[in-house]
Amino acid sequence: MAPGHLSQKKCKAMKKIQIIGILVIAIAIGAILASLSSSSTYADFAEAKAHPGSEFHVVGKLDKNKATVYDPQADANIFTFFMVDNGGTEKKVILHKGKPQDFEHSEQIVIIGKCKGEDFHASDILMKCPSKYNDGKPMESNAK
Amino acid sequence: MNTQFIGERLFPGQLGNAFVLLAFVSALLSCIAYLYASKEPSELDAVSLSWKKLGRLSFRVHSLSVAGIVGTLFYMLYGHLFEYEYVWHHSNASMPMRYILSCFWEGQEGSFLLWTFWHVVIGNILIKTGKTWEAPVMTIVSSVQVFLVSMLLGVYIFDYKIGSNPFTVLLRQHPDFGGIPLFQNPNYLAKLDGRGLNPLLQNYWMTIHPPTLFLGFALTLVPFAYAIAGLWKKKPDAWQKPALPWAFLGVMVLGTGILMGGAWAYEALSFGGFWAWDPVENSSLVPWLTLVGSAHVMLIHKHKGQSLFTTFFLTFITFILVLYSTFLTRSGILGTTSVHAFTDLGMSGQLLLYLFFYMILAITLLVMNRKLLKRTGEEEALWSREFWIFLGSLVLLISSFHIMFNTSLPVWNKLFGLKMAPATNAIEFYNSWQVPFAILISLLISTGQFLKYKNSDIRLVAKKLILPFGAAILLTAGIALFMNLDQIFYIALLGSSLFCICANADYFIRVLGGKPKNAGASVAHIGFGLILLGVLLSTSKKEFISVNNTVANLEGIDKGLSNSRNILLQVGDTLQMGDYFVTYKGKQKTGINIFFEIEYYRKQADGKLKYDFTLRPLVQVNAQMGNVAEPDTRHFIQKDIYTHVTYANLEIRDEAAQNGNEYTEPVNHVMAVGDTIAASNSLLILEGFNTSVNKKKYNLRDSDIAIEAVFKVFDAKKNTYTANPLYVISRNQVEPVEYVAPESGLKLNFWKINPETSKIEITLSEKKSAKRDFIVMEAIVFPCINLLWTGCMIMIIGTALAIVQRLRRS
Repeated sequence: MAPGHLSQKKCKAMKKIQIIGILVIAIAIGAILASLSSSSTYADFAEAKAHPGSEFHVVGKLDKNKATVYDPQADANIFTFFMVDNGGTEKKVILHKGKPQDFEHSEQIVIIGKCKGEDFHASDILMKCPSKYNDGKPMESNAK
Repeated sequence: MNTQFIGERLFPGQLGNAFVLLAFVSALLSCIAYLYASKEPSELDAVSLSWKKLGRLSFRVHSLSVAGIVGTLFYMLYGHLFEYEYVWHHSNASMPMRYILSCFWEGQEGSFLLWTFWHVVIGNILIKTGKTWEAPVMTIVSSVQVFLVSMLLGVYIFDYKIGSNPFTVLLRQHPDFGGIPLFQNPNYLAKLDGRGLNPLLQNYWMTIHPPTLFLGFALTLVPFAYAIAGLWKKKPDAWQKPALPWAFLGVMVLGTGILMGGAWAYEALSFGGFWAWDPVENSSLVPWLTLVGSAHVMLIHKHKGQSLFTTFFLTFITFILVLYSTFLTRSGILGTTSVHAFTDLGMSGQLLLYLFFYMILAITLLVMNRKLLKRTGEEEALWSREFWIFLGSLVLLISSFHIMFNTSLPVWNKLFGLKMAPATNAIEFYNSWQVPFAILISLLISTGQFLKYKNSDIRLVAKKLILPFGAAILLTAGIALFMNLDQIFYIALLGSSLFCICANADYFIRVLGGKPKNAGASVAHIGFGLILLGVLLSTSKKEFISVNNTVANLEGIDKGLSNSRNILLQVGDTLQMGDYFVTYKGKQKTGINIFFEIEYYRKQADGKLKYDFTLRPLVQVNAQMGNVAEPDTRHFIQKDIYTHVTYANLEIRDEAAQNGNEYTEPVNHVMAVGDTIAASNSLLILEGFNTSVNKKKYNLRDSDIAIEAVFKVFDAKKNTYTANPLYVISRNQVEPVEYVAPESGLKLNFWKINPETSKIEITLSEKKSAKRDFIVMEAIVFPCINLLWTGCMIMIIGTALAIVQRLRRS
């Protein structure tokens, strides 16, 4: 084999691994950009109200002094309650889903949706229930 | 101040704590002894041998201590020793004993213990089989044990707490509960019951899913330890042969563990599916993907030493990702992004230390030995098996990178002070990237086996592939038409997964002659293809049949809000859902569970309904931890019907209330002619008014003014009748005559006329017993989901075959 032939072949081989390397990096960068662009934002009600068309995650607490409304006979997919966000602003939230189990026990709620007029329309909800994992105090019981 | 508490059993705690200390010290000693044994240039050197002996002895003591810890903790759970915070926190007296395993690992301490236990089992096998690799590999294994047992130490160094010890934390001394009056009673134990186990974990999958998953995690340590040893002992190639079967065992066990988690989510959780791209799910999937990549590059390495760096990289990153996942799920950093919530025990710092220690160790060794990794010589040929397997591993790496980058959003937020939230439709977002990766992988798997090592004649390969390719095309066309699949990426995945199944089946039958002896890879790949197919068909064609068509269409408000998947069903009502007619029969309470009986019927040719099956989803009533709803699923060969009660009235009414004569509070309705009132069991339409009332019938004076409202009433039993509440003005006083319909339990009161708007006001009250019980439910059809579970089984069998094959050869 002539030495020139060898180096030519090596050069070609280098190209293959380089092409793959560039492709991998390109896809990885694409993945990062896609993640960043499709990610939503945590915001408070004020910010959500300022941008009525865009979707936000709002973290807050249920206002337990105000009534929650779920009338499945009228519409099983509408549930209304009042939430106070972490900044202290309160808003009426219309959740377009059934009432979640154990809603009253939630310690923290995250609602995902948009502001429309004065109300916040949520398409989804996440709840943290303290009771499930770390709450509950020792109590007297007759079980033993 | 020094109260003498009655009945406290402090000895098991002291014993357990002694075991923890012993386990820690012996792991440390074992690590040091093995380190010195590895330092000697020859393993047969007398000094090395004696160090090795000490290392073994220490590891044995360590093993016994870990067994002692596990045994003591079980004893405490079994005996309901609620004086210990861990026992009180995770169990109670009334809990069935079969869930004692779940109690054991519900807490963070228990799950680290489980992990430690598996490392002990693996370590003992490595001592037996390690030969010349024993000393360096066991150095790494024992060092990991030092870290893991330190998580259980529960000691304070200055103000920093190291580990959390289930044996030393007494409930009455716990900082959160110390001031509770109960503990001023010396006999508090007689009155104490445990908090109990999270109802979600009281499920049979939850007794086998965590141990399997942790065994999978533990198995990733073996290739990692071998790879470190390989660089350390400057033998960058030889370590791969003994590590390879362990890597594939890890692939099998971790894969099984992940799928068991999926099965648990599908059977017991209520999000309606087996995979939701939840951070906790992702963080066990990602190390599996890189482990599959690393095992496959090890496979090609012995044929061609090229992808040495990739092999090291994938093996290291797998173990590092396991540690990183543990950090993500256990440090509480995921916060609001995950439905899984693990308590933060304040050990994030320790977890990070653990993570960085091994990361830096791996990187340092790679940098120091970079010359060893450089290989001159030719690149792989384009049409060689090793090149395609290498490509596949890269695809797996990018796929896992994409998943991990997203799952780590809360970490980026913390690091860079951002406020990014996960994509609103996470499933769609992940699928849009992972589906193309899955297509690539399945194409590579289809063709890979037909290629030879070194180089192959592409025309010959193409010729061999014609048959499976043709079969796949035909099947794809048929299935896409039959199942109405229209998305281009889904059709491509359908085609590529079918091609993967056909090509591997063809290889198994035609090339290997159908003999299972060498067919591990083909069988496992057929299983993988089936899994992809099952996932594709069951999720892309999953159908909510409980669609509520009657309410206002929410898409009018916003496109993202069309969640009308819940439907109201009253006792006795029958509603059509998909091909079925569904009736809610009622509820029953058995123990802590309330079962909802839901009957499914099918319409026959003659139009009559025929009973098909009954589903009994339940709500577990748990006053302390909140109620938990569990769906019920009917399995058919070609599909599953999933039914979940999303909302229900949980009080069980007694007979007396059902036959009682109480009426609900009257509700006022403002109406015009033609308006309708919906009562819970009837529909009332205001048809008009009658002014020529027969006054004698109502004992009215001639001077009285009387107007009758005419309602047409349709009740649930399909009766139609007229109801006539009467509006009377007698001596300038409104004195309405109430209308009572005893059959449907309605009371109507016509009490106001507004002449300006020509509207009237009516109050309606219903007999309480007439208000029927109802549920709000969700029903989903998952087609072809059995392909997924069958694929899992086949993949497990195939991988097992491949491991046996490897072991037999060596």
